[in-house]
Amino acid sequence: MKLAVVDYAILAIYFGFVLGIGWRLRSKISTSGDFLTSGRSVPVWITSLAFLSANLGAQELVGMSGQGAKYGIMTAHFYWVGAIPAMIFVGLFMMPFYWASRARSVPEYLKLRFDEKTRALNALAFAVMTVFSSGISMYALGLLLHLILGWSFTASVLCSAAIVLAYTFLGGLTSAIYNEVLQFFLIVMGFSPLAIMAVTKAGGWGGMAARLKTMTLPNGMNGDVMTHSWKYIAHTNQNPMGIEIFGLVAGLGFVLSFGYWCTNFLVIQRAMAANSASAARRTPVIAALPKMLLPFIIIVPGIAALALSQMALGYVLPMKAGGPDYDQVLTTLMAQFYPAGMLGIGLTGLMASFMSGMAGNVTAFNTVFTYDIYQAYIRPGRADHHYLTVARVTTVVGVALSICCAYVAQYYNSIMDLLQLVFSFVNAPLFGTFLLGMFWKRSSGHGAFWGLLSGMASAGIAHGCTVAEGKGGWITGADAAFYHFPSTMAQNFWMSIVAFTMCTLVTILVSLATKPRPESELTGLVYGLTELKHDEGVAWYKRPVPLAIVIAAMALFLNFWFA
Amino acid sequence: MLDLRVPTGFFFAIVGLILVAMGVFAPSERAALTDSNVNLYCGLVMLAFGLIMLGLSRLSKHEDS
Repeated sequence: MKLAVVDYAILAIYFGFVLGIGWRLRSKISTSGDFLTSGRSVPVWITSLAFLSANLGAQELVGMSGQGAKYGIMTAHFYWVGAIPAMIFVGLFMMPFYWASRARSVPEYLKLRFDEKTRALNALAFAVMTVFSSGISMYALGLLLHLILGWSFTASVLCSAAIVLAYTFLGGLTSAIYNEVLQFFLIVMGFSPLAIMAVTKAGGWGGMAARLKTMTLPNGMNGDVMTHSWKYIAHTNQNPMGIEIFGLVAGLGFVLSFGYWCTNFLVIQRAMAANSASAARRTPVIAALPKMLLPFIIIVPGIAALALSQMALGYVLPMKAGGPDYDQVLTTLMAQFYPAGMLGIGLTGLMASFMSGMAGNVTAFNTVFTYDIYQAYIRPGRADHHYLTVARVTTVVGVALSICCAYVAQYYNSIMDLLQLVFSFVNAPLFGTFLLGMFWKRSSGHGAFWGLLSGMASAGIAHGCTVAEGKGGWITGADAAFYHFPSTMAQNFWMSIVAFTMCTLVTILVSLATKPRPESELTGLVYGLTELKHDEGVAWYKRPVPLAIVIAAMALFLNFWFA
Repeated sequence: MLDLRVPTGFFFAIVGLILVAMGVFAPSERAALTDSNVNLYCGLVMLAFGLIMLGLSRLSKHEDS
């Protein structure tokens, strides 16, 4: 792919605006709260788009379009099953407690609701996880830019990290959130024309479906699976993902997605920055609307790419040793469809998605470190300006650590595989802890802590006793494994089900055996002891519940339409 | 507080203008599979989006005062 002067100009203008927003917001920062939590002052349309955008990293953009070419519209399960229900749930049922508790972070909520040790466990796990995930996404971007444009890995990593650092350092969370919205618009504007052109060229959705139906996929299945999301879900050997309906709905749709959207501070932080309790509840619900439409600009082009490769147009899927290189599907489509000018927009969109993902991690990391590790355990009781300085320094340190991780990832690829697996252990049981904490006032701090630990451990053991695609089985050995999963995805889903069940069971048992906290300490933290405001007399679209019903109906419709 | 619609509006208006200029002065600029003057059409959409953002921000400032 070759860039023209105009493409570089567009990239430069974008960098200018991103830094300009940070510069304009710098004077707004006078306390650690302004820097780390935006002082709870951001309008709801901005928090909603940032809620979505912080989750929309470059890896998702590149990876999901690749999966579109590999698995077809079933990939949309990650959105229509694996995101929308959880986003609606966190908005309606969990935000009221996050908001009423006045906690500044998710670990701080755990401290208020349970105890110090539960908070420390969550804060440490989360801090390590955010640094590694931003490092891994930085690595992915550096690799991609090197591959398609020949840019130096070091230069692209350092340059993009420096820009993210500059605007988060200047304007804190507000700056990250504002830029995430600009980045979201750019991603939509940059990639929807590609989706429209690729699908039109492939003969529209009907033409694509007809063409795919007559072809045999690289794995030997009929191409009809590419255009149906539910038709082939009854058994693992019918679909290329190797999953079945229970694992999908319970593992992805319930445990993994609720664990991510309801407890991951990276996204919760955006909703908590909203300017009222109602706005905080509506943030994830409103974000669900664009979220359910994203498959059309991210996944569908991937499916179109597969259809195009079957036509005599000269387009072939990018290849690497051992089969198609799905991670390059999106960029090869850009090269085929975008002339100089739009190519600049597409590339800028890719950079924007990387930056929004990274800034999300950095701002969540500095808040958790400053409030839940530094203020809680290292230097409590200092004046606020001390913590503001710490927060700024932590921002720099967080970016520096992510850069280190990007280099570790470059040299030890398998370590990163392992780490990503470890993260899935850490996240999966957490939703059980929150569910019991928010809706069962009897659950105790000891219960939460031991439930969480045993949930993580059981996920590890489940992984050690089963094998999928040659992975796992490190306890029993691959040959003696208790169960062989048809894909790592299926293994992941089932591992998370095990972790969640274990965490819930242990939390209940230990809670019943230990002393609960007195009810007077749980006001504003638990269902039944928290006053929930009903906003009557406001237009329906400004109320969380009617809004959620409309959004849920739309998601249901999409599932049926593409079944 | 900075009204986000202002920088967003300016950004897309400027970028939209650049693309429209590309579409008008270099209409034959095409990639292998491009069938239409994609720079021109996308540029017009971005320009319109930018102007709408700027307009909305002007409108709400007008209402406040």
